[in-house]
Amino acid sequence: MKLIRHLGWLAFSLVLSVPYARTAPAPAGEYFVYFGTYTGFTYMKEGLPAGGSHSKGIYVSRFQPATGAIGKPELAAEIVNPAFLAVHPNQRFLYVATEDPMSLGPDFDHASYVSAFAIDPKSGKLHLLNTLPTGGTSTCYLSIDKTGHYVLMANFGSSSVTVLRIKDDGSLAEQTAFMKHVGKGKDPSFQSKPHPHSIDVSPDNRYAIVSDLGVDKLFIYRFDAATGALSPDDPPFFAVEPGGGPRHFVFDSAGKFGYSLKEMSGFVTVLAWDPSRGTLTSAQDARTLAPDFIGSSDSAEIAIHPNGKFLYESNRRFRGPDLWGPDTIGVFSIDPAKGTLTEVEQVPPGGTMPRNFAIDPTGSYLFSANELTGNVVLFRVDGNTGRLSPSKTELKIDVPVCITFVPAER
Amino acid sequence: MRRMRYAFGLVFAFGLAILAVSAAPAEDNDFFLYVGTYTGFKYVHHSQPYGRGESHSKGIYVSRFRAATGELSEPELAGEMINPSFLAISPNHRFLYAVSEDPLSVGPPLDHSSYVSAFAIDPTTGKLRRLNTVPASGTSTCFISMDKTGRYVMMANFGSGSVSVVRVKEDGSLGELTGFIQDVGHSVDPSIQMEPHPHSILVSPDNRYVIVSDLGLDKVLIFGFDAATGKLSPPDPPFASVYPGGGPRHFAFAPAGKFGYQLSEMSGSVDVYAWDPAKGMLTGVQRAQTVPHDFFGGNHSGEIEIHPNGKFLYESNRRTQSEFVRGPDTIGVFSIDPKTGTLAPVEQSLSGGIMPRNFKVDPTGSYLLAANQLSNNVVVFKIDGTTGRLSNTGKEIKVDTPVCLQFVPVQP
Repeated sequence: MKLIRHLGWLAFSLVLSVPYARTAPAPAGEYFVYFGTYTGFTYMKEGLPAGGSHSKGIYVSRFQPATGAIGKPELAAEIVNPAFLAVHPNQRFLYVATEDPMSLGPDFDHASYVSAFAIDPKSGKLHLLNTLPTGGTSTCYLSIDKTGHYVLMANFGSSSVTVLRIKDDGSLAEQTAFMKHVGKGKDPSFQSKPHPHSIDVSPDNRYAIVSDLGVDKLFIYRFDAATGALSPDDPPFFAVEPGGGPRHFVFDSAGKFGYSLKEMSGFVTVLAWDPSRGTLTSAQDARTLAPDFIGSSDSAEIAIHPNGKFLYESNRRFRGPDLWGPDTIGVFSIDPAKGTLTEVEQVPPGGTMPRNFAIDPTGSYLFSANELTGNVVLFRVDGNTGRLSPSKTELKIDVPVCITFVPAER
Repeated sequence: MRRMRYAFGLVFAFGLAILAVSAAPAEDNDFFLYVGTYTGFKYVHHSQPYGRGESHSKGIYVSRFRAATGELSEPELAGEMINPSFLAISPNHRFLYAVSEDPLSVGPPLDHSSYVSAFAIDPTTGKLRRLNTVPASGTSTCFISMDKTGRYVMMANFGSGSVSVVRVKEDGSLGELTGFIQDVGHSVDPSIQMEPHPHSILVSPDNRYVIVSDLGLDKVLIFGFDAATGKLSPPDPPFASVYPGGGPRHFAFAPAGKFGYQLSEMSGSVDVYAWDPAKGMLTGVQRAQTVPHDFFGGNHSGEIEIHPNGKFLYESNRRTQSEFVRGPDTIGVFSIDPKTGTLAPVEQSLSGGIMPRNFKVDPTGSYLLAANQLSNNVVVFKIDGTTGRLSNTGKEIKVDTPVCLQFVPVQP
């Protein structure tokens, strides 16, 4: 079965490669799904890489949300440790952070890099435009501002965030902002210094929110889209619970609420967002962990369904040496007026260590990337209840850590 | 009084402009002297600024220096900017690059970043026109230099422990970050060596390597440099070490490119290394001491430079005897053995002020100018080309908190 699918894909690629040949048009609503991976190791264990990987870089599959049909993943671009991916608003470019922990590369090569790729609209293959230093180390997150003129990065290792300008041709240019955080948090093992883990612009593109896992703060920067500069807001941050470890942040589609997922505590803090003043006000601390669970939560990704009614978050749980799980994807319903969360269910992700997941743009499927088991599992999403049901479709991908969707050209 | 000085400066500048364009062209040995300053405080100690609000400097100043006579004109503001603590000049003398050092206490509480600015030099007046400003990609950026092609600036980010390389475009403005290396580790002095603190970055004479003096690690790091791409890469073996606790600060190559000299800030030692350009390797030859044996107090050596004739080495020392007693601050003079590269002490000359963080030998090798940060003066010393000895000419200019000097030839 797999072989047949593979041959079918090969034939399809061959047809594509014949110039001027009239190819069968892709069905409406087809997407390329890109998978970022670790190529040098399996996961980060206490700040050091552990395990191996056979991945070569970024993989791509074709996906039809209407039927759930997905093609076999193919190598889209060869690159070291493409740990996080972001798509340009014009859907023509893909940006990739190359995370470069201490043990990779030569002893003193302590730097991460960001690469710009042009997306082939027919094949989904990636064409490298250029690569520049991120200006930091262990860069674990990047995002694009609403204008598509800037890429924003969180440099976990060197405690900074950086912004690079994007040229009209999609390639990367000069650094327009650099901010280093100072201080420490409550937990000496992970919080002896700042660790920015994500950076995202606000819906109106006037602010950037940085989740700093090391100092338990959500930094709020003013973002100037004319220059790409960041400057501290007043007040400059929102403090979360000590030892919480904020990792990822999402705004709701209306831009009224923000949701901060804490890696260590597993709590989701619901925050009211005032876009006129750039302030966050706490509305609720929602627990994702069962009260009787003993161990660490290692919550990872957070996303809101395109219909705005449901919130999803993943948990990579750990109860002791080599005692993984139970890993889950938590489903919550969102109160439309207050933004608050009510738990719907906690679903096993179909593998171990769901560092990342993504909901397709039509809201039909959720893809769970299970880092340790090397599989991506597709769940059908019930648009009325938010509930997830396994689709029986899964892809084998070595060390998958990031998923993103791009519409395929018809 | 200040207004008068300003008015005088204006008149003087006007007069100079007329001189340059009409009757008397600039002489061969006329230079613009650029003076970088701290604008927000007087000095930095253990990563904290002292004397906040006590500097009245507005940025980078320019004075005209006549190397035939040692005359310095009244300094004028050449370019307004915050904390231009280190300056670099492009090989074609058309552009000046300045870092804006931004320690914790300056600017908004969370504005933890340093910047680098490109300026075009007006060849007639020496005034600076800002081209652009980009982040240095680090904090407390305290040093900037250029590669030999003039296509890259390189910076040492003391605060965040990294070095960065930024491309220079054809028009002199600054482009993208091309190289970045984060140093890791620590050394023995808990007050200043808990984390890496790169203090300078300098290309080798053949432009194929960079030398990074890391004060926090007690290491002289050597990286490969690719002038085609501006990338830094670590070679093997990757570093030389100084005595633990020494604190490497600035490095100088001898003109022939065979020897390198590492000044350590805390120990005041100068490590002499043989430089192997084929392997990119430093091998220790001698450790010379700049602090007298009978001196008890704190030493903070600042700048190191080799005379253009290759015969003499100069280095500055900022000393304290107690919390309240500063000095004696000196410029040390050493002669260099042409074969072995080793140093022999000639003299320790008083710097003519307090806290000589920086000094510069003029390009003709006739004078040494010392920038005394705390006494706000730049003092002119005559150099004896035979012995290397310094004599204070009594000539000086007043500049608030001077911390870096650079010369640019005035086009005749």
